[in-house]
Amino acid sequence: METVIPKTSTVLAALLKADLTTQWRNRRAVILTLIVPVIILMSWKGLVAAAGGPFVLSNSITIGLIATGLMSYSNAIARDRDKGIFQRLRVAPVAPWTIILSRLIVQMMMILAITTLVFIVGNNYDKITLTPAGYAFSYLTAIIGGAVYLSLGQMIVGRITSPETVSSTTRLVYFVFIMVGMFGELNVLGKSVHDLEHWSPYGTVKTIVAVSMEPGKWNSDTSTSLLLTIGYALVFATLGIKWFKWNTK
Amino acid sequence: MDQQEANILTVEGLNVSYGNFQAVQNVSFSVRRGEIFGLLGPNGAGKTSTLSAVEGLLKPESGSINVDGYNAAEKPLYARASLGVQLQSTSFQPELFVIEVLQLYGGIYGLSLTKNDVLAILRDINLEDQAFKKFGQLSGGQQQRVSLVIATIHNPKLVLLDEPTTGLDPQSRRQLWERIEAIREKGHAVLLTTHSMEEAESVCDRIAIIDHGRVIAIDTPQAMIDKHREDKEVIAVSRRGKITLEDVFIALTGKAVRA
Ligand SMILES: Nc1ncnc2c1ncn2[C@@H]1O[C@H](COP(=O)(O)OP(=O)(O)OP(=O)(O)O)[C@@H](O)[C@H]1O
Ligand SMILES: [Mg+2]
Repeated sequence: METVIPKTSTVLAALLKADLTTQWRNRRAVILTLIVPVIILMSWKGLVAAAGGPFVLSNSITIGLIATGLMSYSNAIARDRDKGIFQRLRVAPVAPWTIILSRLIVQMMMILAITTLVFIVGNNYDKITLTPAGYAFSYLTAIIGGAVYLSLGQMIVGRITSPETVSSTTRLVYFVFIMVGMFGELNVLGKSVHDLEHWSPYGTVKTIVAVSMEPGKWNSDTSTSLLLTIGYALVFATLGIKWFKWNTK
Repeated sequence: MDQQEANILTVEGLNVSYGNFQAVQNVSFSVRRGEIFGLLGPNGAGKTSTLSAVEGLLKPESGSINVDGYNAAEKPLYARASLGVQLQSTSFQPELFVIEVLQLYGGIYGLSLTKNDVLAILRDINLEDQAFKKFGQLSGGQQQRVSLVIATIHNPKLVLLDEPTTGLDPQSRRQLWERIEAIREKGHAVLLTTHSMEEAESVCDRIAIIDHGRVIAIDTPQAMIDKHREDKEVIAVSRRGKITLEDVFIALTGKAVRA
């Protein structure tokens, strides 16, 4: 009897269906992830006139990307690994990367959902509108930016095995990002903090997302930010993959 | 038939280490097509570690594993495609309903099962009315039945079961034995681990006793009893004058309880 390996597309479809169902059953947590950027968007309404729509939108989107990539993704991976769910999947004739790819596709959908939600609320509540090119371009940069935080999440689950420690670590990093982002962006702590923030994984993502909303304003600073963003993603992902173990024992 | 064709699984000179600790030492055995093979040994003997190497969950230090003619190190996906697996501690996504878990694993093995197909599978194990429960909400015995049915969902040539009957009541245990024998009826092989000597005697065609990571005996249960019937260690541990497989097992592996 000839041994047949299931098609990758069939395997991926089955995994994706399960992962989307899981996401749906966890919709309360998903909604909380979506709500944070909306709260920021609404509470910064007063800044729209002074700092501009893209400034407010891009900060909200960046916070949302951090919440989903850094928090949701890594905590789900840490939990499932600890429960042995990956081990059970891995004894099937499944290439291990398909297991992660399916998770990442779900996260990409979350990134698109967050970006869309911010655009809708920004339009309805803050009366911010962009050109069609601005909208299209910012989806692209949101995905690139999201990749930074997903790979940072991957790096954290690569280094840390205990789900509890992953949870507290990601919360801490999330908090640091929000603090650095808020204070740096609002320029209340002086130039050096502002510079640090500008070139940090928060600042570079925020910059490319913001400028892509007004593509005409793209300049060398934006290009540097884009390169740095891609660099961050590559470094984090390389380490995250290198360190990653499928079981916690 | 040559050896290669007669054996569905061949393990040769297997060594598995965790850091400095060598859990499996130079283990060799083979499982023939259509046979139920039992791996027996005290806690920590290296049974799960041996199975994990066969399943591809851990990389052996050395040794070769061949599943249905495929070298597990060189062709892991082909080797695994012929395996059905029930792990010692199974966990499925806690958010999913039983029916969805079955659909997931059907898909992973390349089957496209409709809802009705899956319900029929569940009906077969008397769990149709549990289809829309989460796996974690099932009783231990029901969970065992579900994970066995998932292990065999793709009709694999070799089924690996790590302590499949631990925690089952006598009825469920007997039923599981029948299911395991039904796998053999189809010409497929089963490699299982157990702590129950009664189980080994009742269902296994051959057994290997493994201790401290080494295989110390391989034979049919009856031949193993007959061979050691006269040993004074065996007679010393026997109760009520009747020599059982358990007496032989204890005599061979020692009386001490493992850490
Ligand atoms: N991930 C691990 N890291 C370190 N040591 C391990 C690991 N897994 C198992 N061991 C050790 O390897 C030895 C063999 O373990 P294994 O799980 O293979 O035993 P077993 O025969 O299946 O036992 P049991 O009957 O209790 O299930 C034990 O001493 C165990 O402590
Ligand atoms: Mg074990």
